[in-house]
Amino acid sequence: MIYEAISFYSLAMFLVFFAYKTISAENPIHSALYLVLTMLGLGAMFFTLGAEFIAGVQVIVYAGAVMVLFVMVLMLFDLKAEVQTFSKGLLSGFLKVFSAAALAGLALGVISNSVQMVDSSATQPAAEAGMDVTKNLSILLYTKYLFSFEVLGVLLLVVAVGAVALSRMKGGTHARRG
Amino acid sequence: MLVADRLLHITAEHYLALSAILFSFGMVAVMMRRNVIVMLMGIELMLNAVNLSFIVFARELGSLDGQIMVFFVMTIAAAEAGVGLALAVAIYKKFKELNIRYFEKLKG
Repeated sequence: MIYEAISFYSLAMFLVFFAYKTISAENPIHSALYLVLTMLGLGAMFFTLGAEFIAGVQVIVYAGAVMVLFVMVLMLFDLKAEVQTFSKGLLSGFLKVFSAAALAGLALGVISNSVQMVDSSATQPAAEAGMDVTKNLSILLYTKYLFSFEVLGVLLLVVAVGAVALSRMKGGTHARRG
Repeated sequence: MLVADRLLHITAEHYLALSAILFSFGMVAVMMRRNVIVMLMGIELMLNAVNLSFIVFARELGSLDGQIMVFFVMTIAAAEAGVGLALAVAIYKKFKELNIRYFEKLKG
């Protein structure tokens, strides 16, 4: 119990600190690298929650592939002159932060009031001990969720074609090619 | 004693609170930053916060459906990052800057 508390609080502080650095760093490259650290911390947290496969996918796909994509696109641009990092307006900025804080407070209130309703008596001890989670996950993915899985494959194909078409077009999204 | 017990006994509530905090950080990034790529990073942060709550509920309920949802969300987030970065490239090619205010001028 005490070990779980220690690991949770250290990971939570790590995550909140680097998430804050992500949104406050003025250089977008620094934001991207702090976001990689946030993703790695979340992967570690998934691991402690007993989702080993998802933790591995998180590290490989997010901290690896997606963030490499971000950093490579950032390196394509010459972003030395970041004119305006944050949006203008003190009042509107205050309102934005206030609305985000209100959303977080609302979510915290809802969580503390409603988390007792979750019926955790159905928890299977085998799923918690990390036995065969990956095996059961793959069985579920290829039986119950097979159709969604195939649709996702089609979606990825469409997105790949669309991204290439979008970046090859000249002069905006509605321009004629040529 | 009761407060210390509540703080030290890690339940789903703690993880969900962390998830809510990370989500609001991503929301602040989307609303406050003007750089398109940093806004996309904020969206990624929000998606990851939701993934954390999915994993927590999957553990609480002893069911693996939540982990499957996380898998799908990750795929869609990768696709969304690809399209968003292609849009960012389109903005940069035309205006030589990555500010969100050029988005409205992108048509035609």
